[in-house]
Amino acid sequence: MSNNWEMVIGLEVHAQLKTSSKLFSSSPNKFGSEPNENVNFIDSGMPGMLPVMNFGCIEMAIKTGYALNFKINKHSVFERKNYFYPDLPQGYQISQFEFPILSEGYINIESGDNQKKIRIERAHLEQDAGKSIHDIDPKYSFIDLNRVGTPLLEIVSYPDLSSADEVINYMSSLRQLLMYIDVCDGNMQEGSLRADVNLSVRKKGQELGTRCEIKNLNSFKFIKQAIEYEFQRQINIIDGGGEIEQNTMLFDTSTGETRAMRSKEFSHDYRYFPDPDLLPVNLTQEQIDKIKPLVGELPQDKLNKYLDNYNLDKDIAKIIIAEKQNANLFEKMISESTVKPKFIAAWLVGDIFAFIKENNLEVNSLNDKTKDITDLLILISDDVISNKAGKEILPKVLNGEGKPSELVKELGLEQVSDFGELEKIIDGALLGEEENILKFQGGSDRVLGYFVGKCLKATKGKGNPKLINKILLERLKK
Amino acid sequence: MSDIDIKRISYLAKLKLPSEKEEFYSNSLKDIIKWVDNLKKVDTSKIEPLHNVTEKTVSIRNDEVSKSNSVDDVLSNAPERAQNFFKVPKVVE
Repeated sequence: MSNNWEMVIGLEVHAQLKTSSKLFSSSPNKFGSEPNENVNFIDSGMPGMLPVMNFGCIEMAIKTGYALNFKINKHSVFERKNYFYPDLPQGYQISQFEFPILSEGYINIESGDNQKKIRIERAHLEQDAGKSIHDIDPKYSFIDLNRVGTPLLEIVSYPDLSSADEVINYMSSLRQLLMYIDVCDGNMQEGSLRADVNLSVRKKGQELGTRCEIKNLNSFKFIKQAIEYEFQRQINIIDGGGEIEQNTMLFDTSTGETRAMRSKEFSHDYRYFPDPDLLPVNLTQEQIDKIKPLVGELPQDKLNKYLDNYNLDKDIAKIIIAEKQNANLFEKMISESTVKPKFIAAWLVGDIFAFIKENNLEVNSLNDKTKDITDLLILISDDVISNKAGKEILPKVLNGEGKPSELVKELGLEQVSDFGELEKIIDGALLGEEENILKFQGGSDRVLGYFVGKCLKATKGKGNPKLINKILLERLKK
Repeated sequence: MSDIDIKRISYLAKLKLPSEKEEFYSNSLKDIIKWVDNLKKVDTSKIEPLHNVTEKTVSIRNDEVSKSNSVDDVLSNAPERAQNFFKVPKVVE
């Protein structure tokens, strides 16, 4: 019976910082290069090479500090975390241990219908390791050191999370914030954001159990699967009279199971000590203050603005703020035109996003089409063309096949909105309809639809439906 | 002074000690620790920890890329290479 049990989860999230160069060397910080292309003598751990701090990483850490409500520490210290592995040529990882750059932050996440505050213990800067490839040769491992020295910000939450869904919400909120402040590209497939999940179980209301850590999960799907499997695994052990051993686990994506990773006979001992090659980071208040304006508007600020100033529905506003590039596109269209934000928003999350999805595009790729899009929206809101015609033209506009006004002419989609012309057409359509007119006057509304249809047909679908309705009502009431 | 777990220390340092030498190294390490333990006699309760002997802050550089060497330079000391990879005995954790 798993319903007396609850899970207690804390997350360690590694976010790869979007700098141009590495944390302590000038090598490119770039994914997808040829093996060992982005490696210099510092990265490869050659003797006598000295690390030099990239201030871009400090800036990004401070921005994160503001976005995640952290205390930004003026004093932080880099230490060596010692262990041996072929993809760690120095024999130690440079990380922050006792004195991290950020401490005691939090974010609010959605949990069911409520907001829940998730406290974050700390975030520190550290180097990433390289990559070992084990499946090319049966006897050898192949080592690519391109990732060595890539700047990571490790964000460590308190064990405030209590379901897989909360973990996913927390991760996606983090991802959204880090992408908004432009410090991480959020690409989980490429490993730019990955999570270690610390999970323990307890009977409701009881003390914390022994936790296991599941390493290196890089998709929301795997995080959810791993949590659900590990939760049940721990319950089964305790229900069977056993005890949980504190262990580091791997999640096997092919079986959906977790299994113990590190050899158990000797526990690791990283023997941290301050790195003698690196002096402490001592920041001035002025340096920290200078970075605050670079944080910009956060998702919550935008949500409030969209609801209060633009009067958007919450669901639509949320879709737009989900990614910064959506919000940028939306706000660009507002600033460039007189179309009502609400009208732009409806088209954006409707037909425009559908087009993007269908054609597998980036939202950004439409940034140079905003003028054409709003020109089209003006034609629709001014009743020059019908909504239906707008939907027909939109993909052509987005494909760059022409300007909206030209396309309207070319395709003959202009609505007939000339009052006199419509009157003539309507009068023609009402000829010989005395019987139906009487029915309408007798109270049958259904007849109105019939007349509108008939008139639209007479205009070959181009009559402005609003005007047709208006004129018809006047005529019929006589 | 705590006892020395020489097996664990050699494991962490990735050093293979012949079993007949374990006692010898264990005693050598104990001597070193005994010597360092003398420092514990100093009362440091009212002194802030010092993380570096200079008072300065870390030197920094701007976030700019420069390439100072080729792939071949980096691989030139490798005992074995395969295309542009380092080739090492299989290590799987």
